[in-house]
Amino acid sequence: GDSWGIFTFLCAALCNLPALPALNCSEELGAGQSIQQTYDLTRYLEHQLRTLAGTYLNYLGPPFNEPDFNPPRLARAERVPSATVDLDLWRGLTDNARLAANYRAYSRLLCYLRVLDGQVGTAELRHRLAHFCASLQGLVLSIGGVMSSLGYPLPAGPAGPSAPPGAPAAPNDFLKKMDDFWLLKELQTWLWRSAKDFNRLKKKVPPAVVTLRLEARGF
Amino acid sequence: HIQYERVGADVTMKCGSMDWDAAVTWTANGTDIDESHLNGSYLILKNVDLSQSGQYSCYEGSSWHLKYQTYLRVGTPPKEPVLMCRSNNYPKGFYCSWHLPTPTYIPNTFNISVIHGTKDMVCEKDAVPKNRCHIRYLQLFSTVKYKVTLTVTNALGKNFTTLTFDEFAIVKPDPPESVVAKPVPNNPRRLEVSWQNPSSWPDPESFPLKFFLRYRPLILDQWQHVELSDGTSHTITDAYAGKEYIIQVAAKDNDIGTWSDWSVAVHATPWTEEPKHLTTEAQITETTSASTSSFMAPPTTKICDKGAMVGSGAMAVCWTAGLVVAAYSVLFI
Repeated sequence: GDSWGIFTFLCAALCNLPALPALNCSEELGAGQSIQQTYDLTRYLEHQLRTLAGTYLNYLGPPFNEPDFNPPRLARAERVPSATVDLDLWRGLTDNARLAANYRAYSRLLCYLRVLDGQVGTAELRHRLAHFCASLQGLVLSIGGVMSSLGYPLPAGPAGPSAPPGAPAAPNDFLKKMDDFWLLKELQTWLWRSAKDFNRLKKKVPPAVVTLRLEARGF
Repeated sequence: HIQYERVGADVTMKCGSMDWDAAVTWTANGTDIDESHLNGSYLILKNVDLSQSGQYSCYEGSSWHLKYQTYLRVGTPPKEPVLMCRSNNYPKGFYCSWHLPTPTYIPNTFNISVIHGTKDMVCEKDAVPKNRCHIRYLQLFSTVKYKVTLTVTNALGKNFTTLTFDEFAIVKPDPPESVVAKPVPNNPRRLEVSWQNPSSWPDPESFPLKFFLRYRPLILDQWQHVELSDGTSHTITDAYAGKEYIIQVAAKDNDIGTWSDWSVAVHATPWTEEPKHLTTEAQITETTSASTSSFMAPPTTKICDKGAMVGSGAMAVCWTAGLVVAAYSVLFI
């Protein structure tokens, strides 16, 4: 149903990505429009993830690919950033905090995914993962662009594709697979949360804000 | 004293502390029971059915003292209950409602438990409707599933069922409210439809709804659909002139969950010119050829041309002609 709309948005969003950095925002692209494009990107990624997760979980094999698999959260899984948040806290987030949380989460998730990419068995999976990582990188850039255009500093994130700091290797194969399972789950949850985050931002950030901030910065 | 027995069971009732060979009389709801059902002073009911529920009393033979009394309730142990959970007020929380697929004919108690990861949550029972409870979300965007277990118990047995789901999977809004459809003056092919967010949806600003509109003329079976990503109104621009339409709207969270049920249906007919008095064939031809729409009924069905909201009697007359028109119209869509 939503597939074609999402693909159209992807083209629009990815084509406009290079124009997102703050300097070019004095053109028609207001923060409002960038937020819309970021929103569209999260929807596209969510759609892409559904296929990727299905393939990956089948690769992991049972019980990970069983629909009602509902394991308890192990302490070691906490290092993957969680989208779960107290309802009132989420409502009260400032725009800056909201965007920063998204930026940090996806930066870290991207790192973890890249580690995964290096380890996966089949060519098909590697291809899918690589494609997804590229799209996810686009999302991180998009969020960064929105933050810059609103005058918010970018959170200090993990440097590059190196393994995330403080990540102990899983002691056995099963626990490694559990880590992968939770990574995909958190990614799915973040994408679904981001749609709501960006909905809220859409309503609260009028495009006029961009011009004011740019003037204040002497452009 | 109440005694519960299964349908089809054999029931033996003792007359309190009376000896087996004592002379007694049993009554069922005040009516004497025939001696053939007695084994000494015991009352034997074989293969009981629901109609045998009632008050059973045992009287000593001569003194007519009441020695024993019980209320027999014949029923069945509960079958697996039907449980449904739904969030129509996201992100506030969700509710669960349940029922038994077949009646047990005796009182049942329901116990519901909700587990979220390692946490036990309390589902507060609603006064109205019965068999329903609600839970408030403490956290949003949870990766851990909710597990709801409903246990039903009665005097003859127990049964249970479990539902496991993700927070976003059970989101289903109530249908849109106050759906209104109006003709547009001087536009014989338009209908203006408007509606409101369901009042149970607490935060349409942060959690916007999208809508699905369906409409068809009463005379056709096939619906036309429009999906609307925002706004609570829409103008239909391809209505058949003069035909009564049925219109419904459904809602869904923009990103998650499933579509609501269809709203209450509204009826409307597009605006038509004021009908003149049709006394001669010449005047009829004038009226129909003046209209630019190519979907008006031919002159022989002049009853159909009159007025916007025609009664069902006239609609019946229109039927055959309408079908012919519709068949040709469908070819031209």
